[in-house]
Amino acid sequence: MNTTLPVLTGIGSVTPYGPQAGLISAEPLEPSVITAWPTPGLRRAFLVEPFRPASIVPGLKTRRLDRLSAWALVASSLALRDAGIDLSQMDRSRIAVFFATGFGCVELTEAFYQSAATNGWAGTDPITFPETLSNAPASHVALFHDLRGPNVTVSSKSFAAESALLQAASLLRHGQADMAIVLAGDTLTQAVYEWYEAAHRLSPACFCNEPMSAAGGFIPGEGVVAMVLEPAGRPAASHYAVLSAGRWATGGDAQASIRELLGDAHLDFTICSGNGAPCATTSLTGSGHNLVGETAIIPALPVAAGMGEAGGLLHLLLALSKRPGHGEALLLGTSAHGGYAALRLELS
Amino acid sequence: MIDAKKTIVVTGIGVISPYGIGLSSLRDGMLRGECCLRQASELYPGFEGTVAAVSVLPPPVEGHHYSRSDRLAMAAARDAVEDLSGFDLRESGIVMASTVAGLTEIDPEITKGPAAWYRHGGLSRAASYQVSRVAASVGEHLGILGPACAVSVACASGAMAIALAANMLLDEAAPMVLAGGSDALCPFTLSGFNSLQALDQEPCRPFSQDRKGLNLGEGAAVLVLETLAHAQQRDARILAVLRGWAMTNDASHPTAPQKDGMGLAACIERALEMAACSVDEVGYVNAHGTGTPLNDIAETHAYESAFHGRSRPVPVSSTKSYFGHCLGAAGALEAAITITAMQEGALFPTLRLNNPIESSKVDWLRGELRREPLPVAMSVSAGFGGSNAALVFGSHCL
Repeated sequence: MNTTLPVLTGIGSVTPYGPQAGLISAEPLEPSVITAWPTPGLRRAFLVEPFRPASIVPGLKTRRLDRLSAWALVASSLALRDAGIDLSQMDRSRIAVFFATGFGCVELTEAFYQSAATNGWAGTDPITFPETLSNAPASHVALFHDLRGPNVTVSSKSFAAESALLQAASLLRHGQADMAIVLAGDTLTQAVYEWYEAAHRLSPACFCNEPMSAAGGFIPGEGVVAMVLEPAGRPAASHYAVLSAGRWATGGDAQASIRELLGDAHLDFTICSGNGAPCATTSLTGSGHNLVGETAIIPALPVAAGMGEAGGLLHLLLALSKRPGHGEALLLGTSAHGGYAALRLELS
Repeated sequence: MIDAKKTIVVTGIGVISPYGIGLSSLRDGMLRGECCLRQASELYPGFEGTVAAVSVLPPPVEGHHYSRSDRLAMAAARDAVEDLSGFDLRESGIVMASTVAGLTEIDPEITKGPAAWYRHGGLSRAASYQVSRVAASVGEHLGILGPACAVSVACASGAMAIALAANMLLDEAAPMVLAGGSDALCPFTLSGFNSLQALDQEPCRPFSQDRKGLNLGEGAAVLVLETLAHAQQRDARILAVLRGWAMTNDASHPTAPQKDGMGLAACIERALEMAACSVDEVGYVNAHGTGTPLNDIAETHAYESAFHGRSRPVPVSSTKSYFGHCLGAAGALEAAITITAMQEGALFPTLRLNNPIESSKVDWLRGELRREPLPVAMSVSAGFGGSNAALVFGSHCL
C-alpha cells in the first residue's frame, strides 16, 4: 500500500437502510410509499424512516435542526466511531469537513418560503433563515465535533460526492488538513419530488406497488453518507479502501482521460455510479465495458441513483458492502450530458 | 528558487458589479470614491433599506432559462476570458461560488402547490435552483468541459472557490481554472437578513463604533488561475501571484462569529505561513467588514491577534461600504479589488468611517485614498456557520 495516499477508514450512514456504522447489508430494497405530504395517488421513493438521533448518538440535540443537518451529525459520528477515532487525541484545527449536496437545506428553504407566503416578506422566520444555507449541515458537524479545519460545501452537476472526495483528498495531499470527514446527502421534499414528476424524470415504479423494473426514469431517494479520509499510517479500526487517484469533468474525451488515469492498473472491479437516468446508465455501461474489459461490474443500485448528485458515496458504500473480494477498483459515473467522474481505489 | 509548476498566478479578472461590466469600471468607480448604494424600495417595492444593484446585466439567452445569479456569473466569466482569444478553454476547470443561486427564480407561491406552480411556468425556473447550475452555466456559456463545481459556504464562498481552484491546479486537474463567485439580489435574502435585524437601513458603516448592520449588493467576479509554468508557456500577462490561501472554521456558533476572532486569526496565520510571508510584509488587508456589530469587532480581534508582531498597525478597509455585501460573490469581488489595489498602489478607504473601533494594532483606512506600493496584500472572508477564508496575493513572483 502506498502510504502517501488517503485511506477510507470509517463509514457512517443514514439511508433508507437506516442509520448504520460501517458496511451495510445492501440487500435489494423496495421504495416506500410517501405519506409525509398529500399525493394525487400512490407515490413511492427511497425514504429514510424517522428515528431519534439521540438513540444513535447519545447527547445529540437535533430538535432545532432539519433532517439533513441531523443526519449529517449522526452519519459523521458513526463514521468517526467506525474509524476508531478519539477526537480528544487529535488536533481538531487540522480536521476538515467536506459536504456534497445537490439541493442543500431544501426543507428549510421551503419552510422559509412558506413563512413568506403566510406572513409576507416582512414576517419571515429569523431562526429558519441561516439554516437554509447549504453549508449549515457541515457547520453543525464542525460545531458538534469541534472541528476547526477547512469546512467546505460543494455541489457539482451529477458528481457532487465524487468531487468532494477528490477535493478532500487534495487538502490532505497539500498538508491543509490531517484528516477529513467527507459527507454527501440530500433530503427529499414535496417540491423536489413534484419537480421530478413534472419533468417526467420518474420511474414507473414510483407510481405503483409493483417490484422495481429497469424501465426508464429513477426513484428519488434521500440520506447522508459520511466517510473518514486520512493518510495511511494510523492504526485504524477498519480500513476500507485507498483512494489512489481520480478526476471528473463535464465533458470531453472521457475514455482517453480515464485510460490515462488507470495507466497500467489491472482492475478487478468497476463500480458504477451515476445518476440513474436511462441514457446515463447505457452510456455508463458502455464506457465501463470499453474501458475495463471483462472485469467484474458492480452495477449502480437504484437506491443510490435516487440520491442524484450526492449519491456517489452511497454507490461506493453499497459496492464496498457487496464486493466479492479485494482488489483494484474504478468508481465510475457518467452523466447524461457527457460528464464523468472516475476514482481509482484499492479495496482492502 | 520558485517552482513554476507549484506557483499559482492570476492572469485574468472578470467583473460585473453595480459599477458596470469590467474591472476597469469597478476600479475607476472606487478610485473616485463613488458609492453605489441606493434605496431598496426602488427595486423591490415594500422593502426598506439600502442595496446596490447591477443595472447592466446582458439580456437572457434565448431558448435557455438562466437565473440572475447564472447570468451575472456568465457575464463575469466572459469578461475574464476576453484576453484569452485563441486559447482553447475546453479542458479548463470551473469553481463558482454562490449562496443565492437560483433562489431568484422561486417565489412563495410554490409552497401553496408545487405541481400547479410548475405547470404555470415554474418548471424551467426551478431547473436553475441548484447551486451547481451557476458553475454549469459558465461552462455552457464558454464551452468549458473540464472539472466543474460550485461552492456554497455562505459569505466565505467566493474566497473558498479561489482556494479550491488553486488546489485543483496543484493537482493538475486542469491546465487553467476559472474561479469566482456570483450572487444576485432577491427578496429571499433581503427578507432573511431583515428578519435577523442585520440590515442597516442607511448606507453601512463597517468598523465604525456606531455601525448598525450590512447592506446587500449583487455582482460576480471570476479570476483566471493557472500555474506560473502554464502562464509562461503561453506568454500570458501575470496580474498577481496567489501566494497563500487557507480555510478554517470557528466551530463556535451556527451564525455568530467567534467573539475573540481566533478562528479567523488562525486562518490568516495559515495563509501567511503558506505564502512564506511575514506579518510586516502585508501592506493592505481587504477585510470582510460587513458592518454588523458582531462581525466587525470579532474581525478586529482577529487582526490584533494575527498581526500582533507587526512593527506598525496593519492597514485595513472594508470595500463593502462602496457596493454592499454580495454574499457568495463577495470573496471573489474583494480578491479582484485586492489585486487592483496592488496594481494601482491604492489603499481603498472604508467609506463613512468617521468613528472607527479603537485598536492600536489596526490602521483603519478612511478619508482620502492612500497611495503606496503594495507588493503583498490580503483578502479575508468569513461567513455564517463559522467558516473563514484568507487569500494572500503578491504583485510578482518571489
